[in-house]
Amino acid sequence: MERELARERTLLRRKVSVAAVLTVLVVVSSLPHMLGGGHHSFLPLWFTSPWTQLILTTLVLFWCGRDFFTGAVSAFRQHSADMNTLVAAGTGIAYLTSLFTTLFPQVLIAEGLPTDIYFETAAVILTLVLLGRLLEARARGQTSEAIRRLLQLQPPTARVLRNGQPVDVPVSMVVVGDLVQVRPGEKIPVDGEVSEGSSWVEESMLTGEPTPVAKAAGDAVIGASMNRSGSFTFRVSRVGADTVLAQIVELVRQAQSSRTQVQRLADQVVGWFVPVVIALAITAFVVWFLISGNAVLAMLFLVSVLVIACPCALGLATPTSIMVASGKGAENGLIFRSAEALETAGKLRTIVLDKTGTLTRGQPEVTDFERLNGGGLPASTLLAITAALESRSEHPLAEALVTYARSQMKDGALTAVEGFEAVAGRGVQGSIAGQLVRVGTPRWFEELGIDTTTLKPLVDRLEAAACSVAAVVVDGRIEACFGVADPLKTSSAAAVAALRRLGLQVVMLSGDARRTAEVVAAQVGIERVIAEVRPADKSSMIRKLQEQGDGPVAMVGDGINDAPALAQADVGLAMGTGTDVAIAASDITLISGNLAGVPAAIELSRAAMANIRQNLFFAFAYNVAGIPIAAGLLFPLTGWLLSPMIAGAAMAFSSVSVVSNALRLRNFRPTRLPLPTT
Amino acid sequence: MLILAATAPLWRTIDQPVALKGLVAMVGLLLIVWELWWFLGRHGGGVTARDGEAGVQEITITVDGGYAPSRFQVKAGRPLRLSFHRIDPSGCVAQVIFPDFHKTLDLPLEATTSLELPPTEAGVYPFHCGMNMVRGVLEVVDENANNQSAKRAS
Repeated sequence: MERELARERTLLRRKVSVAAVLTVLVVVSSLPHMLGGGHHSFLPLWFTSPWTQLILTTLVLFWCGRDFFTGAVSAFRQHSADMNTLVAAGTGIAYLTSLFTTLFPQVLIAEGLPTDIYFETAAVILTLVLLGRLLEARARGQTSEAIRRLLQLQPPTARVLRNGQPVDVPVSMVVVGDLVQVRPGEKIPVDGEVSEGSSWVEESMLTGEPTPVAKAAGDAVIGASMNRSGSFTFRVSRVGADTVLAQIVELVRQAQSSRTQVQRLADQVVGWFVPVVIALAITAFVVWFLISGNAVLAMLFLVSVLVIACPCALGLATPTSIMVASGKGAENGLIFRSAEALETAGKLRTIVLDKTGTLTRGQPEVTDFERLNGGGLPASTLLAITAALESRSEHPLAEALVTYARSQMKDGALTAVEGFEAVAGRGVQGSIAGQLVRVGTPRWFEELGIDTTTLKPLVDRLEAAACSVAAVVVDGRIEACFGVADPLKTSSAAAVAALRRLGLQVVMLSGDARRTAEVVAAQVGIERVIAEVRPADKSSMIRKLQEQGDGPVAMVGDGINDAPALAQADVGLAMGTGTDVAIAASDITLISGNLAGVPAAIELSRAAMANIRQNLFFAFAYNVAGIPIAAGLLFPLTGWLLSPMIAGAAMAFSSVSVVSNALRLRNFRPTRLPLPTT
Repeated sequence: MLILAATAPLWRTIDQPVALKGLVAMVGLLLIVWELWWFLGRHGGGVTARDGEAGVQEITITVDGGYAPSRFQVKAGRPLRLSFHRIDPSGCVAQVIFPDFHKTLDLPLEATTSLELPPTEAGVYPFHCGMNMVRGVLEVVDENANNQSAKRAS
């Protein structure tokens, strides 16, 4: 495909050069006539003859501009009309009238009409349009530069261990399970997991994350990222279309193939644009013929209208901006799944951040363990029953409790649990050695009517320290209590501040107790908190915000537990983990999992939408203003009429301007957030 | 040369017979009506996809200045294979885009390229070339709905 495009550009360049030379000759040849007809000795008579102009123009139109005519004819047969139709009709009519004048001048003389010929008009228009097409093809090639650059990231070969010996093989020959060696300063060829050695790896080209990431045995590495200082061996986990790089490219392609709401309008206009322009051109001809009786003058208006109209500018206005913007997103680790996501992200008014895993690291740790019933069960028993119950739970806090309990227990064996049950948003319960054991939130126990007076002061203290509290209840008695804290990500506060600077209302959504959630929110600068939300209710909370008129609402979450909420939100942003790109429920994936990507995505979206609006405005305004001028609407007022050649030049450069404006998006840089001090 | 002044010999009023003026106006009007009908009117209901192997619906589209056929009907809920045969050298048609399916297909010259789509829901899905100038319509019709209406009609 690339080669075909390059070949097409070479051919186009050759045609433009030939057309330019021939057209200059035609224009020089027509000069004496244009300047009033007197004899100009410096030009031989044969050169200024209409026949010379006829031959030269024929070459320009039907060799250099052949594609316009064949394109127009085959489009015509398909009942469709496009750019080619307008160019072919415009230049063709100027050519045919001039041909008639050249062959039968006496007919016109007898009618009292001027015997002017317009070969140079046809040649100039065609050459300008060809030049415009060349410039546009070149600029359009640059809009897909981001994808090309991504594809070039992958190194061509990998150093695979075969029978313990390193062998360089082409990347396409690497299979899952292969062991691959990477030396300092080399690119990692495919995705895998480090099996031996350690290093720092730069992943910025894929995740947008500027700081290198430490990698040691067991860590995932991404193909096409750059190894810095160390050497290591990794086991290949994904190759070909399954790699992160290939998935990114595929997602960007998909986004570039989709369309925005605003484009639908432009598309509808493009659909009937050319036939309407043809109708207007014929109308201009008829009206001017009725007014002046001068067929040649009327023909010039007809040609001007045909060649000034530019459906291409309208058609290209949105897709080119989307192409550049989604590529730019990928460069910064922001994967937009559709043009619509790019469009909506710029209009957001409220952004909901999930607490766990989004604002916090999502790796909670037990910070406090207190026994509350002085003469009750020993600590070792309480830890053992907590470990036994929580090891069967999937709650994010459960892992922290199990890890802590096990680290404190002498004997790691788990006690048997009967009748295990998880109560969503409350806790877990089961029977251990005949006793009913529950581990859960203080609120749950209040609801169950259990006496929680001993628990209260401790809950107050822990919640004020942003800890979640889990109490252990055996046979209806509070026995112990855990404080679990999930440390904030270093980038959270700066990202929240950036979002507020962008004028967004920031809301934190959390399953935690209100006080805990409020403490965390205050630490990152969020004022509005929705706490004590059960996982299943997250999506209805989003709906409520949308109904309250806080919309459009975005939800930022991890993409797994929050899938329904992400889907309900107008824009769902999923925090990736670096290896997980195609998060199904999300509209935008932040590959690095860094919250700083959220304001960056919104900034990019706003820049892209502004760019699209400029393009559409220009394309509409150009056509709306240009066509009436070309039709001679200003003539009665100013006495001027637009030369068809100027009309052709305007058309050629209008679509180039649209593409060039879209290319300005390549300079987009997200506002750098202040680096965290920790 | 750039902006023609009204005083140039070109700008000359010529008295034309009323009959000629009437004729020009009439021909112009007819031309406009015919041209709008030719380009914007509906010409036939489009082509229906043929049934291929294993229940796959198939349709071949020739890319030459436009898509032939440019409008075709397929049944909802059955896999569809679209084959594009490109003979037009213009770079404009080197890509075909199905925005509703988020699919872009590169079409090499003088070759047939296939695309498989899952037309699950009935509706009208436009597609177009990379420059959004050459267009076609994929119409997905609900087989059951058609049967039901046929039954009702009988």
